[in-house]
Amino acid sequence: MSDLVVDGLVAGYGDVRVLHGVSFTVRQGEVCAILGPNGAGKTTLLRALSGMVRTRGTATLGGTELAGRSPDTVARLGVAHVPEGRGTFMPLTVEDNLRLGAFVRRGRAEVEADLERIFTYFPVLKTRLKQEAGSLSGGEQQMLALGRALMLRPRLLLLDEPSLGLAPLVTRELFRIVQAINAEEQTTVVVVEQNAHLALGIAQQAHVLETGRIVLSGTAEDIRADEQVAQSYLGYRV
Amino acid sequence: MAGFLQQIVTGLGAGAIYASLALALVLIYQFTGIVNFAQGELAMFSTYVAWTLVAAGMSFWLALVITLVVSFVGGMLIERVVIRPVEGAPELTIVIVTVGLFIFVNAAAGWIWTFLIKDFPNPFPGGALELGAVTVNFSTLGVLGVVALVMGLLYLLFQHTKIGLGMRAVATNPASARLVGIRVGWTLALGWGLAATVGAVSGVLVAPLLFLEPNMMAGVLIYAFAAATLGGFDSPVGAVVGGLVVGVAETLAGAYVGFIGSDLKIGVPLLIILAVLLLRPQGLFGRAAVERA
Ligand SMILES: Nc1ncnc2c1ncn2[C@@H]1O[C@H](COP(=O)(O)OP(=O)(O)OP(=O)(O)O)[C@@H](O)[C@H]1O
Ligand SMILES: [Mg+2]
Repeated sequence: MSDLVVDGLVAGYGDVRVLHGVSFTVRQGEVCAILGPNGAGKTTLLRALSGMVRTRGTATLGGTELAGRSPDTVARLGVAHVPEGRGTFMPLTVEDNLRLGAFVRRGRAEVEADLERIFTYFPVLKTRLKQEAGSLSGGEQQMLALGRALMLRPRLLLLDEPSLGLAPLVTRELFRIVQAINAEEQTTVVVVEQNAHLALGIAQQAHVLETGRIVLSGTAEDIRADEQVAQSYLGYRV
Repeated sequence: MAGFLQQIVTGLGAGAIYASLALALVLIYQFTGIVNFAQGELAMFSTYVAWTLVAAGMSFWLALVITLVVSFVGGMLIERVVIRPVEGAPELTIVIVTVGLFIFVNAAAGWIWTFLIKDFPNPFPGGALELGAVTVNFSTLGVLGVVALVMGLLYLLFQHTKIGLGMRAVATNPASARLVGIRVGWTLALGWGLAATVGAVSGVLVAPLLFLEPNMMAGVLIYAFAAATLGGFDSPVGAVVGGLVVGVAETLAGAYVGFIGSDLKIGVPLLIILAVLLLRPQGLFGRAAVERA
């Protein structure tokens, strides 16, 4: 099984430690939501998993160590990270952006087929193929970022606040697609999200991160029912 | 009129050489944001390598191929050994490193080959093409042809190969390039290798027109700077157009503006640099430095 097992993950920037030993497991094919206030270290957690920051501790995917490897190596192991800010290659075309997602893959025919598959999820991208990615709207750019990540055929998909800056309708559509992808391809997903409603709506498990530590873990229903979480992230009392 | 056209043809020939060195500057700038002050010296060094091979009895074209390969490997090594340690350092640090490289390469060439001038063979046949009243030397045609070929190959590399796509990705967003699995360090080294190769072409093209000596490229570098500034430091097409414009402007100014003559010609690129920086700092083809998140 290709479970993601994170154990005692410590990470930070220079001398500043941000994560103080984070441990959790995501079973293959499940969606895991990470909630938490601003500055809790959610982005840092995803960066630690994809090798963008230095870490201690372990994070294994299907038994293979991810922690301590460089981002390009982690990508080659099948981890696609849609970073905060989307990581779009702005001056390049939409098509180039998508093809870059498959950069480490061999097998031309499969890549072409996957390109078509992406268009079934995001038809709008097909009409914008030769357009500069930087000229897309925010929502289209988020779709492009997700499409680029899928082009890797990832075993593990890391999403950092996919709803950021998007209209509610677009956000809901995006989450619907993430759910569809998760269901159809058995892709394991870790999603960091401010919109706890949506994230809990597609997740099986959820964890609340505060100042670099997991303070609450459980099934999506448990977390939704938690009074503290309800007050802080869902905006109502249970 | 014929005289004027003649000047333009001459200018284009010179401009093509500036264009190739400018292209080398732009290649590195695009990838790393580094302005490589040593680019001309690397080209000069490559030219000495070619000269040495030819002097040892090798045919010119074989010597050229070997020189290009050596330059490519040399450029990559320089990135790995000299530039890598200061990657991400403040701009001034990097400028000083490339200026240091300039001095070092220049001194090394003087030490190996002495500062005595050497004749460099012209690979193109003598003679000229008569187009009405205008004479186009075969060597001018050759220079233009070679630069067009280099442009074409670079275009194919960048637009139609996977490596080229990866290089463009690194140039625009290195962090994101890493996340899709591109080995950014090696790609940067590749960029330096490529730039050194393109620069070597400019050195080999200019050497038969000047004499080969360690300071040969100093003037050419200034013209190349003017070309890259005019075209936009982040635009390969701009570098080539800029090079041609600078070459023509320099030739015309030398011929028609009485007080400039051939002595003051070197002032022309400086005027161009100044004017561009004042009027359109990003150059004709460059992108204004506006970020859109
Ligand atoms: N590049 C960086 N260099 C230094 N410190 C950083 C850097 N990025 C984040 N930090 C610090 O790390 C801590 C956690 O940041 P992180 O971005 O992981 O939080 P987050 O949970 O994603 O917050 P948000 O919800 O606002 O996105 C913050 O205190 C932040 O100041
Ligand atoms: Mg964040």
